[in-house]
Amino acid sequence: MIELADVRKAFNQGQHNELWAVRGVTVHLEANRTTVLRGPSGSGKTTLMTLIGCLARPTSGRVRLHGRDVSGMTERFLTELRRQTFGFVFQQFNLVRGLTVEENVMLPAYPLGVPRRDLLRRVHALLDTLDLGAHAQAKAEWLSGGQAQRAAIARALVNDPEVILADEPTANLDTELSQRFLDIVADLKRQGKTLIITSHDPLVYESPQVDRVVSLRDGHLA
Amino acid sequence: MVVNPAIVALVIAALVSSLLLLYSAGFGWHLVRHWDLSSGSELQINLERHTYLISTLVALVLATEAVSLLLFVYNADRIAPLFVGAMCAVGTLNTSAFGFPALLVKILVFFAASTWLILHHLDTRGYDYPLTRVKYGLLLAIAPLLLIESYLQIRFFLALDTDVITSCCGSLFGTNRQALGSELAALPPMLAMSLFYGTLTLTLAAGLAARRWPWAGYAYALLSALAFVVTLAAVVSFVSLYVYEHPHHHCPFCLLKAEYGYQGYLIYGPLFLATALGLGSGAVRLFSGVPSLRTVVPSLASRLTDVSLGLFFFLLIWVGILTAHSALVLLGNEGI
Repeated sequence: MIELADVRKAFNQGQHNELWAVRGVTVHLEANRTTVLRGPSGSGKTTLMTLIGCLARPTSGRVRLHGRDVSGMTERFLTELRRQTFGFVFQQFNLVRGLTVEENVMLPAYPLGVPRRDLLRRVHALLDTLDLGAHAQAKAEWLSGGQAQRAAIARALVNDPEVILADEPTANLDTELSQRFLDIVADLKRQGKTLIITSHDPLVYESPQVDRVVSLRDGHLA
Repeated sequence: MVVNPAIVALVIAALVSSLLLLYSAGFGWHLVRHWDLSSGSELQINLERHTYLISTLVALVLATEAVSLLLFVYNADRIAPLFVGAMCAVGTLNTSAFGFPALLVKILVFFAASTWLILHHLDTRGYDYPLTRVKYGLLLAIAPLLLIESYLQIRFFLALDTDVITSCCGSLFGTNRQALGSELAALPPMLAMSLFYGTLTLTLAAGLAARRWPWAGYAYALLSALAFVVTLAAVVSFVSLYVYEHPHHHCPFCLLKAEYGYQGYLIYGPLFLATALGLGSGAVRLFSGVPSLRTVVPSLASRLTDVSLGLFFFLLIWVGILTAHSALVLLGNEGI
């Protein structure tokens, strides 16, 4: 489904602080599976995930989705692709303070022009599934870590994407909440979603929900 | 040299456009030689990234060219009173050997630029840079033309001398001289009218046929070009006479003057735009076989054709109205 061919990514290229975060990664990630990108801090796993999710472009190499090159796509098509194919759960959750949970979850769907009534129905169904129904009108800054993460997951799912990308999803959670996250992963797998998770948490990469672990070190496949 | 705001603007636009296009052509040459979409090399990825910037620059330069053509003609008309013997833009353009060649090349650049802009628009509708190489190849052909245009235009402005006695439009578009303008002016009105109405009707028919048969779209593009030439000939031969209500005043430039209600803008505006869009629709259809453009080409080509058709239709009706409302009676008086 997702194919990376000799992908390299440099930051500040040609300058004294040039950094090669990813150095020639070739990997094929299958659909409807949960893959963990594992590696220590600075191994390039988050950069690799941003390349997979079309949030960044490689310095060289190609990223293909269903055989179609997405690394060179023009921004017009990338925006559409990101919106409809990928759902992102960021490490710091990136919920917009001042907005309610409901409003935060609705945000990615606004550009698609879904009728508000349908959208609200969808958002509340998602929040109920993630046990957040009672907090729909709560401001983002009032949520606990676990609630904020579930709100971020609901936001990632609102456009019904094929692929969910989660960056260090358990980094700020205790064991119980991490386990709750893995239960949600199991549910998403059952729904046929493809999950790509970066993590160096053994609780995540040793979980039975994970089908494949791709190890990275210094920007290379380990 | 005469200095006024329009001339300063045109000279600056010409210099900036030339510099930007030279830079873009250099990039285009590099791109045409090294573009390889199947490669994920750093060079290819860099080329892909740079095309955004360069294409935006080129689009800006070429859009400026359209405005520049209008300003050039408008300014030539406005400064005519400065030259002894000049009555309109013709007199100004005649003050040196560079005036009319500059105008001609500006018109060529206008159509080349409009075709490039339409192809650029189409290219951005494909996810895989379908026309990038073609676009930059075309740019390599346009760049020298634009440089020639800038050179001729600047030479023309530098040569403007208010002490020069120039010829008025009457001498260039009189029927008793051996020049292209005179040849056109000498065309019998009946023949010119038949040619004009016949060609435009045929063009409109081809445009309507293109809705059903895509091959007719190519005929429409060619007929648009023909309609452009025929309409210019018609303007010199009979349209101008009806507007001026004078049987011997054939000048196509006096039409732009206030005393004739700026009729020229209502004729040339739709004519240039309709031709540009007609040519563009044909250029777009050439790429209907490109997989990533298969769904885009038919809708874009028909939109371009429809707007172009509308403008040609307006032109046809407008010329008809001008002819019908004129106090001049031309047909039936040829023998007098």
